[in-house]
Amino acid sequence: MLFVNKNLKLLSFLAFLLVLAAFAMVLFYAPIELNMGIVQKVFYFHVSAAWIGMLAFLVAAVCGILYLNKKQLKYDFIAFSAVEIGLLFTAIANFSGMIWAKPIWNTWWTWDPRLTTMTIMAFTYIGYLLLRRGVDNPEKRARFGSVYAIIGFASVPLTFFSSRLLRTIHPTIFGADTGDMAMIPAMYQTMAVSIVAFTVLFATLLWHRSLLAARESELEILRAQTEVLEFGEVLDD
Amino acid sequence: MKDWLHSVRTLVWKDLLQEWRSKDMLTAMFAFAILTLFIFNYAIELSPVNRAEIASGIIWVVIVFAGTLGLNRSFTAEQDQGCFDALVMAVPDVSAIYFGKMLTNWFVMLFVSVLILPIYSLLYNQSLFNAGFILVLVLGALCYSAAGTLIAGMTVQTRMRDLLLPILLFPILMPVNMAVVKAAGGILAGAPLMDVQAWLVLLAAYGIIVTTVSIMVFEYVIRE
Repeated sequence: MLFVNKNLKLLSFLAFLLVLAAFAMVLFYAPIELNMGIVQKVFYFHVSAAWIGMLAFLVAAVCGILYLNKKQLKYDFIAFSAVEIGLLFTAIANFSGMIWAKPIWNTWWTWDPRLTTMTIMAFTYIGYLLLRRGVDNPEKRARFGSVYAIIGFASVPLTFFSSRLLRTIHPTIFGADTGDMAMIPAMYQTMAVSIVAFTVLFATLLWHRSLLAARESELEILRAQTEVLEFGEVLDD
Repeated sequence: MKDWLHSVRTLVWKDLLQEWRSKDMLTAMFAFAILTLFIFNYAIELSPVNRAEIASGIIWVVIVFAGTLGLNRSFTAEQDQGCFDALVMAVPDVSAIYFGKMLTNWFVMLFVSVLILPIYSLLYNQSLFNAGFILVLVLGALCYSAAGTLIAGMTVQTRMRDLLLPILLFPILMPVNMAVVKAAGGILAGAPLMDVQAWLVLLAAYGIIVTTVSIMVFEYVIRE
C-alpha cells in the first residue's frame, strides 16, 4: 500500500477541497452563538482536531497489534506516522481549546478530565517518539513502539475515567442531557463537515507520512550498507 | 502450571537474594525517599491543619520516585551480563519472567514503604497505621510495578535507559496516581472505605487491564 498512485493525488485534492469547504462553512454558514459570540466558532475545528487526536492513537495501537502479529514494517511506518500526526492535532485541539476557554471560563486552563486526558495522552506519545529515538535496530524499534502504543492506548480510557471521577466543567455536546450547549441544525452541519474534512485530511497526511517513513527506512538500510563497504563490518546495535 | 509457579518463585528468590546481599538498591531507595520527604517539608508548609489531606499525596510521590530507582535496576543485571536469552530459555513461558520481576519490584516497594511510613508518622506526629490506607498503598504499588516492569523491560534495552523510564511510565501511571492519592487521602481524612470504593475499583481495573496487556506483549519486549 505504501506507494504513490493516482488515488493519493485524488485524496490529497479531496482533502484540500473539504478543508476549504469546512473553513468557509465555519466562517460564513454557521451562525454566531448567542452567549459566547464569535469565539465559539473555534469549536468546530477544536472538536475535529481532538477527534483526529484520538483516532490517530487508535490507528497507532491497531497497527501496533498488526505489527506484532505480522512483523511487517509497513505497519510500523503507519503507527509511527499516526502518532506524529496525532500529536500535532492534539496540540491544535489543546491550543484552540485554550483560545475558547480564556473568554468563556475566564482561564486558559482548568484541570478538567478532557483537558487532562488529552494532555497526558500527548505526553504518552511524546514518550513513544523518545522511545523510538533510543533504539537503533529498526526491528526492535518497531517492536518496542508497538508495545508502547498498545499499553499507552489502553491507559487512555482509565485516565479519562479517573479524572472524570474528579468532576468536570467541560461542555458535553453529544449525548448530553445537561444542555450545556444547544446546537441548531446549521451548527450540526458545519460540525459534521468539519469532522469529515479533518478525517480525510488525516488519512491523506497519514498516507504521505507513511510513504516518507518507508523512504527513511530505505535510506537507513542504504547508509548501513555503505558503512559496511567503508569499514568492512556491520555495526549492530 | 507447577513449573511456571516454580520459575516465578525461583526468579523472585534470586532477585531478592541478590539485592539482599548487596543492598545497593534498597539503601539508595531508602535514602532517596527520606531526602524527598525532607524536600517536601520545606517546599510545602505541612501545618497540622492541612497535613491530613496532603499526607497521602506526599507519601505516594515519595514511594513513586523511590520506586523508579528500583525499576531502573530491575533488568540491569540481565542486560549487562547478557543473560536475557538464558532467562528466556530457563522458564516454561516468558510471562513467568514478567511475574517474577513484577513481584520483586512490588516487594521492594512495599519494603521501602514499611520503612517510610513509621518515619513519616514519627516526624509529623500523625499515625498512618490505618488498614484502609495501607490497603490502598499496597494496591497502588502493585499497579505501579505491573506497568513499571513492562516499561523497564524496554527502557533498559534502549540508549537512554533510566532517563527514559519515568518519561514513558508516568503518563501511563496517571490513573493510579489519582486513585491512590484520592482514596488514601479520603481514608486519612476519616471517610469510610465505602466512600472511596470507586477509586479502589479503578485501581483493581487498572491492575487487571495492565497486567493482561503486559502478559500478552511481554514476549515481544524480551525475545529477540
